[in-house]
Amino acid sequence: MNATAMLAAPSASRPAGRHRSLGAYAAGRLGRHLILVLFALYALAPVYLVLLASVRSEADLFSGPLSLPWPIDLSNYARTWNESGFAHYFLNSLIISTGSTVLVLLTAPLAGYAFAKLDLPRKELLFGLFLAGLVVPAPSVIVALYGNLQKLGLLDTRLGVILPQAALLLPFSVFMMRTVMQDVPKELIEAAVVDGASPLSVYFRVVLPVVRPGLMSLALIAFLFSWQEYLLPLVVIQADDLKPLTVGAATLQGRYGVDYGGIAAAGTIAFGPLVVLFLVMQRSFVRGLTAGAVK
Amino acid sequence: MTSQRTAILFVLPALVLYLAFVGLPILQVAAYSLFSWDNGSVTGFAGLSNFARLIDDSVFWTALGHNGIWVVLTLAFPLMIGLLLASILAECSPRTIRILGAIYFLPRTIPLVVAGIIWGWIYNPMFGLANWALDMVGLGALGGAWLAEPSTALYALNVVGAWTFFGFCVLIYLAAIQAIDPSLYEAAQLDGASWMKRFRFVTVPLLKPTTLFLGLYAAIEAMRFFDLVWVTTQGGPGYDTEVLTTHIYKTFFLVGDFGYAATLSVVLLAIVLTVSGVSYRLLRSA
Repeated sequence: MNATAMLAAPSASRPAGRHRSLGAYAAGRLGRHLILVLFALYALAPVYLVLLASVRSEADLFSGPLSLPWPIDLSNYARTWNESGFAHYFLNSLIISTGSTVLVLLTAPLAGYAFAKLDLPRKELLFGLFLAGLVVPAPSVIVALYGNLQKLGLLDTRLGVILPQAALLLPFSVFMMRTVMQDVPKELIEAAVVDGASPLSVYFRVVLPVVRPGLMSLALIAFLFSWQEYLLPLVVIQADDLKPLTVGAATLQGRYGVDYGGIAAAGTIAFGPLVVLFLVMQRSFVRGLTAGAVK
Repeated sequence: MTSQRTAILFVLPALVLYLAFVGLPILQVAAYSLFSWDNGSVTGFAGLSNFARLIDDSVFWTALGHNGIWVVLTLAFPLMIGLLLASILAECSPRTIRILGAIYFLPRTIPLVVAGIIWGWIYNPMFGLANWALDMVGLGALGGAWLAEPSTALYALNVVGAWTFFGFCVLIYLAAIQAIDPSLYEAAQLDGASWMKRFRFVTVPLLKPTTLFLGLYAAIEAMRFFDLVWVTTQGGPGYDTEVLTTHIYKTFFLVGDFGYAATLSVVLLAIVLTVSGVSYRLLRSA
């Protein structure tokens, strides 16, 4: 598909330069905009499909995947939410994601600030330690983590997911916070120090207010990743009433293999909050995601 | 001196949490791989014999091959598409950029578990959208059970992986393009350079560091992805979509062979650390 798109581009695209006609230029623009639309459809079609399926009644199931469902049937949502434990799953996702996000917010900005602005001994080595964590595959960690959590009595608890989840998010978070903290003006910090402020009060009263947009981005990304996590809760939690949405949705798929309306509603409940959060806070999200990348 | 102590205290909470739940387990895994295990307890020192088992473990080599294919496909498809879309998008109005950027990124906000379920339906041989669409354009004969056939399963899954990843590439490339000095494009345009020429001779060379970064990111993700395979095929049919992480998971939880699961983990860690180490140097010199 890549190859066809690349081939399509040169034949269709022509500049407003001296040698080409205006018509060819317009055709080139049209061709390029067609590519944009094509990939927008690729991105949206599956989402559209699941939204339709979630409000389709069983009787309407075989009238074609893209046909508009009629009558619109919300019973799938009611059934999933009330009978399949999705109210529990939703609450657990909320608790686990909020818990991990708070832990990350309490620790990563402090560390990022120390790496960016303070006189930290063995700075390179310590930062390298966090950097290496960026690539660590969660399944490798789990082989030992599982036994450790068992010894700590944290298996089958939400805390047993929250702690390792936050730890796995830390490399990215510390890296991002260092980048954010580097932009805090040195004069601002020095002025506060001259005024006799303690390091902690400099951090809380001067630094944190300046980097608030960065903290917002970090919170959003940490929340998104925690909410999406599957392997960690899959391994740590067995009790059905402690499972988050991701594990719940997968269980549901196994249990009600043919209740497509119910599974579609479940899927929509699982990703709906993230989509809304992303659309509302798009700017903040994008700033966070590109912070570490474009430097 | 006190300022150094303050700095240490500032790093400490993050460091302790990170070492306790990531650093320590990694050291333990490395140690586990040197012992033989039975039923969750050590039965003896094994030296490197767990590593010797890798040679005859055909599932390991199959899985490694699939990860390799996944790396190549990810570099070829979502990355290149991301670059192309970002360069086209960069010339659009801020409103269009915002809306299309959001649309392209939308799949990334959907948990992979849910993405796997949705695409499982799309590929369903009975009522799925894929076969239905082929029918509509008269190519119904090409339809099949995409995720159940050995010849298509891995590639069909990769389309899902690309679906969740290309929007991220668009955003990263877009940010990098917007940081390029606009006078370079103006000069190229004055010289009568076509869109394709500006793309090839201005955009692509200047984005080399971004491409390296995204390539590294994509390669690491391709080595360590798990959710998508686990909720769709669990490595099947047969071992046709087995990857290293699913092999580790099965060896640990289903077979209960802790020593060999640890060995596989060490190999995976060694691969990602080597790849990222090499790329990090490339990035620095770029």
